[in-house]
Amino acid sequence: MIGNDVIDIIQSRYDSNWQRKGFIQKIFTSDEQLLINKALNPEIIVWLLWSMKEAAYKIYNRQTKIRAYIPQRLECSLNSQNDKYILGKVFCCGNIYYTKTSISNDYIHTIAVTNHDKLNTVIEIEKNYIIKDEHGIPFLTSSLSDLVQNVSISNHGRFEKVVALSNL
Amino acid sequence: MNKEELTAKLKVIIKPYATNTDAYENLTENTDFINDLNINSANLVDIILDIEEAFDIVIDNTDMERMLDVKNSVEIIETKLAAK
Repeated sequence: MIGNDVIDIIQSRYDSNWQRKGFIQKIFTSDEQLLINKALNPEIIVWLLWSMKEAAYKIYNRQTKIRAYIPQRLECSLNSQNDKYILGKVFCCGNIYYTKTSISNDYIHTIAVTNHDKLNTVIEIEKNYIIKDEHGIPFLTSSLSDLVQNVSISNHGRFEKVVALSNL
Repeated sequence: MNKEELTAKLKVIIKPYATNTDAYENLTENTDFINDLNINSANLVDIILDIEEAFDIVIDNTDMERMLDVKNSVEIIETKLAAK
């Protein structure tokens, strides 16, 4: 399964004041708050963790059909980092989601999957032939076959990302 | 405070975060913050913090989980106010 979340960093400064009293405490676990507090650039860590939670929640919602505002139940851990991306995990209600986040000057984009091996098979696609089920969950259809495929759509500010797992 | 007054006060709190103005003007107890009002999920926490300040109540994580629409939010605020 697949989930993704994009954050427009400039837009986030208009939308949210993450330094507001109570904001961090309501959203993040104590371990996550430690990561934020010791970061050189806490703003980036706030939105990195938030995008991991959102991407993972999209899978959780697809799996369970449960809608709930549960930021603290989506527990993030960061595993490794190189100059292109950050790998992490999100634990939620007994499930594990594997995440890969790219950070540029303009945006933070996280993809989440249920099977670690699928992380490298995620592709960005055009937003065509998308349908939504009664829970608002998006699927990709094809004019060539009856197959429908899981897709995840995320919009924020100047960015829109539509991702799917490649069949290759 | 009765339910109408409480809903009206909640509506004022929600306004800065609602990007679908039609749905906002026609707000009912069934209005969903994300699906109808197009509120950014990161702003739900702002709504919760604003509610805590405006009504002088504390919303814990369990209550927060259900705060996705007007109906649940009004119910939670009513319960918290009654317990004061």
